[in-house]
Amino acid sequence: MKSVIGLEIHAQLLTETKAFCSCKIDVNARPNTNICPVCTGQPGALPVLNEKVVEFAIRSGLALNCKIHQRSSFDRKNYFYPDLPKGYQITQYFHPIATEGYINLDNGKKVRIRRIHIEEDAGKMIHSTENITESKESLIDFNRCGVPLIEIVTEPDMEAPLEAKEFMEKLRDILRTIDVCSGNMEEGALRCDANVSVIDDNGRSSSRVEVKNINSFRYVQYALEYEIDRISQSLKEGKDVKHETRGWDFVTRTTVSLRSKEEENDYRYFPEPDLPVLEVSNDLIEKIKNTLPELPDQKAERYVKTFGISDYNAKILSRDRLLSTYFESTISAGVDPKDGANWIVNDLLGLFNADSAEFDPKKVPVDTLKILVDYTNSSKISRLSAKEVMSEVYKSGRNPDDIIKERNLIQVSDEKSLIPVIKKVIEGNPAVVDQYRKGKTSVIGFFVGNVMKETKGKADPKAVGELVKKALDGKI
Amino acid sequence: MIEKIKNHTISYDESVENAINKIKKIDPKIKACISTPVVNGKDGMLKGIPFAVKDNMEVVGTRTTCASKILENYVSPYTATAVQKILDKGATLVAKTNMDEFAMGASTEYSAFFTTKNPLDPERVPGGSSGGSAAAVASGMVPFALGSDTGGSIRQPASFCGLVGYKPTYGLVSRYGLVAFASSLDQIGPITQNVRDAALIGEIIFGRDPKDSTTVEKNLSLLKEIENSIKNFKFAVPKEFVRDLNPDVKKIFEESIDRFKKMDVKIEEVSIPSLKYSVAVYYIIAPAEASSNLARYDGIRYGLSVEGKSIDEVYMKTKDEGFGREVKRRIMIGTFTLSATYYDAYFDKAQRTRAKIVDEMNKIFNSYDAIIGPTTPNVAFKIGQLSSPLEYYLQDIYTIPANLAGLPAVSLPMGKIGNMPVGLQIMCKRFEDDKMLRIARNYEKVSQR
Repeated sequence: MKSVIGLEIHAQLLTETKAFCSCKIDVNARPNTNICPVCTGQPGALPVLNEKVVEFAIRSGLALNCKIHQRSSFDRKNYFYPDLPKGYQITQYFHPIATEGYINLDNGKKVRIRRIHIEEDAGKMIHSTENITESKESLIDFNRCGVPLIEIVTEPDMEAPLEAKEFMEKLRDILRTIDVCSGNMEEGALRCDANVSVIDDNGRSSSRVEVKNINSFRYVQYALEYEIDRISQSLKEGKDVKHETRGWDFVTRTTVSLRSKEEENDYRYFPEPDLPVLEVSNDLIEKIKNTLPELPDQKAERYVKTFGISDYNAKILSRDRLLSTYFESTISAGVDPKDGANWIVNDLLGLFNADSAEFDPKKVPVDTLKILVDYTNSSKISRLSAKEVMSEVYKSGRNPDDIIKERNLIQVSDEKSLIPVIKKVIEGNPAVVDQYRKGKTSVIGFFVGNVMKETKGKADPKAVGELVKKALDGKI
Repeated sequence: MIEKIKNHTISYDESVENAINKIKKIDPKIKACISTPVVNGKDGMLKGIPFAVKDNMEVVGTRTTCASKILENYVSPYTATAVQKILDKGATLVAKTNMDEFAMGASTEYSAFFTTKNPLDPERVPGGSSGGSAAAVASGMVPFALGSDTGGSIRQPASFCGLVGYKPTYGLVSRYGLVAFASSLDQIGPITQNVRDAALIGEIIFGRDPKDSTTVEKNLSLLKEIENSIKNFKFAVPKEFVRDLNPDVKKIFEESIDRFKKMDVKIEEVSIPSLKYSVAVYYIIAPAEASSNLARYDGIRYGLSVEGKSIDEVYMKTKDEGFGREVKRRIMIGTFTLSATYYDAYFDKAQRTRAKIVDEMNKIFNSYDAIIGPTTPNVAFKIGQLSSPLEYYLQDIYTIPANLAGLPAVSLPMGKIGNMPVGLQIMCKRFEDDKMLRIARNYEKVSQR
């Protein structure tokens, strides 16, 4: 069995105003306060394209390696729904602004992007029951109506749910890096519909099923895993797989049928007569190209090349602009890049992940990280203590030196204090000393452990190790 | 009107009051007005001049019904740009006029409320869809009115009522606030007593509007330009326009050709073969755009809303009760021609044929200054006389090409059959509105003598 996956992604653009009118975009505004005759579909109102939307779409197209079309146009997608005030959505059906792009996955696979087009979002509805069919009362908020979106359609180039998840994460990282979309799936700023079919071992393909309502990166994986299982099972049992649209239900972690393809709308697409052909100059495209920031993959490559950090660390650090800026600041502050990368990836990000929080550079300032790395490298405090301090700074924002002092974390590494303890431990274990003499050098660890125990962990293990060896060799 | 403005012979109160009184007196018989709100403009050259607008233009605080039950109680939240420009010049709105529902028709018989009578013969229609505007001007209620023209809706009623009806080049006048029928064809224009008034109003309402992306800025001085001579102009008369012409109309048209010839205008018959497809093309494109434009009347946010057990039932009941037969017919035609299965066979083909019509007409303008012909195949018909939709649709046969090609077109009185007038139509190249009105003005001068 082999699965074939293609994605259709909607990304809300971070423009200040809507796509076809000058209403503000503000997710926190009270319902129906950012509306006007245009976005509520009053008779006689006309759309006027927001130039920023074009710029954002071009920026996205360039970052996703697309061909940008100097001539594209708008069309109407007609269907009835109460959150769609005009009875049609303005979109780009016949001539999209960008086509033929791609994103490379970590396994080297190229996922092609068929097209990127500009369109407008619908309003938001709240029903008194689960859905509109049973609802006695439904409320509509038109604040979201007319918010610009880009729809990104991939070719069916993915073969595994994890590839689809990785594609979505990479896409999010790119869109965030170029500042066009917040990338938040839970809030609906980034939405993913997946088309999936399964080919059995005899090369027989199932019908294509579309899965909607996938509202997190994890669910991209889970929903596809569930759906591929479901389709494969049907194929095995010789059952018919319906060509249909299904919805992901994150509570039951299953997909449920929404409608068959026969029940699908005929959208009656036709050219939008209220908007002229969208022409963009080569100059504008070049200008946007020149202002594109370094993209995650390029950045990762540079990190590996110039800083010699691992591929793994480089990928993680280059994903998010806040994170990469933070990493680069630690280097400017004098931290060794490899150290910095390890600390950030292994320790710092762990703290945010445990809270399921977004990375925030203010939680553990660059200065703090530098202090902790320096102290560890000079053995002033142990690696473990440093981690403890970092965690405390993350939680309380307190000064790291205060925490170290308060918790008495400074390591003992001076010979004067350590030699008496070492001598005591050696004298107390003549049998082990004997083993050492016979050539079993690994027993140094035994002595170091005991010294650490004696000093309640405050001794610097490195210094202790060296002194133990000297003492056993009779050099002290 | 323009004479009165220049001589300051009318004061604001008198004239507006006169208009209001006339409407009170005459309108019960003519039935040109759907509502009679009084909206005063600012200070300006039109101070003291009353005017009327077709009831498909938004004027804040007034009802804008489109002569449809579905918008019977809809109150505009904003004002159309073209109307605002006239108010800004000081004129006072005194009436919103009757029309065929959503501008779909040629007689006002398709108004959901009542049929307007032709002031020249109350048994006849005033034409349409801007029939109320034409009747209001023809009966002297107001010196000018705004109409909208999608396939002849300004020119045909002007022809039927003995007036000047001017459809500017598509893109010269903002459509913002004009309730859309077929967006790629709709254009606002004036209906007036004479060419100079049409030029005056045209100049006022022209201009790029940041709220309508299809508008352009052109510097046209109509009033100055129209007084120039048309000596040595060359006109084309398409065979397709005169082939099966009613003999009475033909006779009058030939007389007007003679008048032009006397002004040293050269007139030649030409053939524009694709014109024979214009009605068919129009009745695919206009309903298609209309089916989409009218989707918003769904009973959710404003207008008529009929309760139902489900959202689909709300839609169906609202649209069933709210729209009249002709509107429903066109929505159904448009929905059909845009459907995935028939898109290529109908809409796409119509678009391609439209491009061919545009091309062929533009070629004519390489060698000729204007295309002329009668505005309508006949004089105003009697109320109830036309029963089949097809007969009705053929009313627009001469006026439709200008909308398909976005050309400026004007109708002005050419003569009479009995007591009923018939119009002469002049079309020019896109944005040559000045030249076109210049021809009209020259004709008007000689025909009035």
